[in-house]
Amino acid sequence: MIGILAAFTAEPLAPEKLFSLGPVPVTNSMLLGIVSLLLVCLLFGLAAKASRVWPTSRLAFYVESLIDAVFGMMAETFGDEKKARKHFPLLISLLLFILVGNLSGLLPGIQTIKYHDVSLFRSWTTDLNSTLAMAVLSLATVHFYAVKDVGLRGYVRHFFSGSLRNPMTWFIGLNEIFSEILRLVTLSLRLFGVIYGGEALLFAIAALAGNFGWVATLPVIFLEIFVSLIQAYLFMMLTASYIVMSTSHGGESSSHAPQAAMGAA
Amino acid sequence: MATQLDPSLIKGLTIGLGAIGPAIGVGIIGSSVVSSVGRNPEIQGKIMTMALIMVGLVDAYFAFVLLILFTTHS
Repeated sequence: MIGILAAFTAEPLAPEKLFSLGPVPVTNSMLLGIVSLLLVCLLFGLAAKASRVWPTSRLAFYVESLIDAVFGMMAETFGDEKKARKHFPLLISLLLFILVGNLSGLLPGIQTIKYHDVSLFRSWTTDLNSTLAMAVLSLATVHFYAVKDVGLRGYVRHFFSGSLRNPMTWFIGLNEIFSEILRLVTLSLRLFGVIYGGEALLFAIAALAGNFGWVATLPVIFLEIFVSLIQAYLFMMLTASYIVMSTSHGGESSSHAPQAAMGAA
Repeated sequence: MATQLDPSLIKGLTIGLGAIGPAIGVGIIGSSVVSSVGRNPEIQGKIMTMALIMVGLVDAYFAFVLLILFTTHS
């Protein structure tokens, strides 16, 4: 039993370096990330080019339906269509880019094509660097718009609300700042852990099933597709609710009960 | 006293103990979804999307367990 478990080694935790472009090392996850970026850009570009008032192209129709559905959800989350429209481009690109990154790990040939004993492709979200980069991007946006919308004073008072003479205010404020840092960790580690854990699980089940790996991994692949969708949606939704929570002017935030519940996670 | 533990025992215990919390969490979510859909079935779609978000948040912890399990080689 332990022999079987020790026989396989899942892909290493860190992405491997393929070659360097000047001083910048190019890793295998970056390579597939660039490929999926080009794919998403191509999809949006073709759809935007074919988009008409009376849609004739099938692709434009599907992309428009997707964007309309997601926009409906965002308008509901923000509670304000104008504000939702302002933040929508970032959110929809995060959703589609993460979705393509998650699903690309399930394609054949992703970890099996080798280049100098290093797998040439590795899906974008199974790399902690890339999920951390996306989390930094989304949280930087959150704080930028928080300062812009409620002002620097309101931004600071968001953490230290109440009388400054009261030591409890300082304690709660420091806890709030700590939870703000913790958001960065959870947002990046959740996406990375789920996708990487899923791929390692697929690998382990294929190794345990031996010759019947193709049938044993089939249900797990469906689970993976489901989880990829959920995680891409979750990343977008959490970013949206962080924006809502930090740009709301105190008092009215109590009307967004589901966002308050998600902020705790 | 210091006997060598079997690594596969540790791995099995990691999965088993790590699955308790997320399993209880997903169970609580499922029971609340069923009862709230029973109370007002007309907003089933909204409840389902919210429930799926919560399931995604909860089972991330089990994914952390799998992550730890598959990245430690003994």
